[in-house]
Amino acid sequence: MKQKIIIILLLTTTIMLNAQITQRGFVRTYLGTLTEDGHYSILQNTFDWRLDYGKGDVGLYVNPVFNYNGLSKDFGISLRQAYFDIFFDNFDLRIGKQQIIWGKANGVFITDVIAPRNLSEFILPDFEEIRIGINAMKLDYYIGNATIEAVWLPTFQPTILPDENSIWYPKMTEFPAPVTFDYSNATVEQKLSESEAAFKYSYLGSAIDVELMTAYMWDDNPAMHIYPFFTPGNPQPDSLIIKPEYHRLLLVGASFSKSIFGAVLRGEAAYYFDKKFSAENFSVNGIKEKDYIHYLVGYDHNWFDVNVSFQFIQEYILDYEDDIRNYEFSNTATFLASKTFINETLELSLFSYFGINNGDALIRPKLSYDISDGFNILFGTNIFIGDEGNFGQYDDNDMVYVKIKYSF
Amino acid sequence: MKKITLMLLTLLIIGSMLSAQEITGLKIIENVYNRPTGEDQTADLTMSLINSRDDKRVREIKQYLKDYGEMEKKIMFFVAPADVYNTSFMNWSYEKTGKDDDQWIYLPALKRVKRISSDSKSDYFMGSDFTYDDLGDRQPTADTHKLLREEEIDGEMCYVVESIPKEEEYMYSKTITWIVKDKWVGKKKDFYDEDEDLLKTLTIKESEIIKDYIIIALSVMHNIQSDHKTIMKLENIKIDTGISDNKFTERMMKRGI
Repeated sequence: MKQKIIIILLLTTTIMLNAQITQRGFVRTYLGTLTEDGHYSILQNTFDWRLDYGKGDVGLYVNPVFNYNGLSKDFGISLRQAYFDIFFDNFDLRIGKQQIIWGKANGVFITDVIAPRNLSEFILPDFEEIRIGINAMKLDYYIGNATIEAVWLPTFQPTILPDENSIWYPKMTEFPAPVTFDYSNATVEQKLSESEAAFKYSYLGSAIDVELMTAYMWDDNPAMHIYPFFTPGNPQPDSLIIKPEYHRLLLVGASFSKSIFGAVLRGEAAYYFDKKFSAENFSVNGIKEKDYIHYLVGYDHNWFDVNVSFQFIQEYILDYEDDIRNYEFSNTATFLASKTFINETLELSLFSYFGINNGDALIRPKLSYDISDGFNILFGTNIFIGDEGNFGQYDDNDMVYVKIKYSF
Repeated sequence: MKKITLMLLTLLIIGSMLSAQEITGLKIIENVYNRPTGEDQTADLTMSLINSRDDKRVREIKQYLKDYGEMEKKIMFFVAPADVYNTSFMNWSYEKTGKDDDQWIYLPALKRVKRISSDSKSDYFMGSDFTYDDLGDRQPTADTHKLLREEEIDGEMCYVVESIPKEEEYMYSKTITWIVKDKWVGKKKDFYDEDEDLLKTLTIKESEIIKDYIIIALSVMHNIQSDHKTIMKLENIKIDTGISDNKFTERMMKRGI
């Protein structure tokens, strides 16, 4: 019923404002099959509708998304973004549900911490669909080629994790005793004192592009506090209660990109203060607080008409202790190559992640063809390599897929 | 009387000496390069891409450019096709020899402005038959120019100039340009590939005079080898309207049309 009301409201509003409204979007069919057993992993039909209304120095943007899951037969409507803009001489104000993207990295989140992620299908959807729109008030103040951005997020939105029955549900850590989850602490109250704030200075110029940022946020992923129960005389716990809990996070970061001999060199780094890490230590309820650095260097070039991009990413836990479950240094590399043919109607691309610590990888070749303007068909495959790690844990989930999309 | 005859004779000799000082290929190309086209320009650009089966695809762009003397800034907002709507592209090019262009692209799906590699001048712009280099102003000193002949096209006398790149790895082995005498505007240009075979022909179909500046409004680039052509049309051309410097910023790239 609620969905019907939303549709009627949207249609009515569109008709009322039809004179000035711009309607864009796409219709897409997406079918994916697991290569191991031939089961369909996804059958999704999407109508992504983008309504844009502008009058003078005020703009309105609404982006409802209608999804029909052909496997579960579920139909759902979500509002990816819905905001209004007010433009002034030297500053702009954007208020409402919006996606805010920071940083210079491709396919990696370092200073890009404002928009939480929907990981219900791991990191396979388009990044626009992974990022969740958040309620925010954003102010951009402009001084020449520089921008000062201030963001206030009145409410907290955590990362959306895959459902327990999903093929993308991450491998659970092994515990020495039976585990019960208690979600009583896994909420953040909706009140002013629990809101989030972030600031960014950015400069774009001939010599270099730079961003400096700081954020006082909630960690989008909960820390897993472990409460063991012992029988007297037995050093091993009989049972464990795990209480997921969200914690505050303060970070500072910077990024740059610079042209060098026709190529682009990029870098991005964030320093997190007192981030919570899971530890094999019941005396601290399985949690240790450590400062943490996450950084990246990237290089983009065009070689013989092929766009090529490399990135090296490192995560480093300072003052490391051996009982922490994460590695002290976690290293990842990415590689992208793409080339277009037949007057850009055909594109062949390959994007890969390599987990260096675990020797795992995700390899994503794609072939995209524009049948006509706005009408595109895409064939792709996701190949997971390895047994453990971020990518290796999904070794059974190799898939081939096809997406047919009409943009209007 | 003798004195007057001698004076006239001297003047005649000087005149004939002056006309014998033939204009060079380099001078012609420099005149084209230096032909004033205004401080700034706004226009709607439509590119029609037509393949050998006459299938047509259309790209529409709103573009702004401003000449700062030592540098030129250009910003383009893509209007059509629908899947690239509100993508923007900004280019800052420099007079200084050897200084690479700075280029950025804003993709609405990614919601951020990204600096891109400018080492792709041989790439074709939006699937058209124009490379990024074809669309820019190539510096006269980058090639060795030779005036081949003079000939008439569509009733206009043209200089025919052959230009051979000094850079060995350049995408064309040579170009031959027909330039209208005294107007210093191109009429036609042939591009030869690395094997010195004719690759493409650019034909200027229409020029407009706006505020005393000659502006090319309609041109066709025909790739002879693939029989693919691009019709490039500029409409609503406005010159010297005093475009603000703020137009060429990250703010405008994100804000869109």
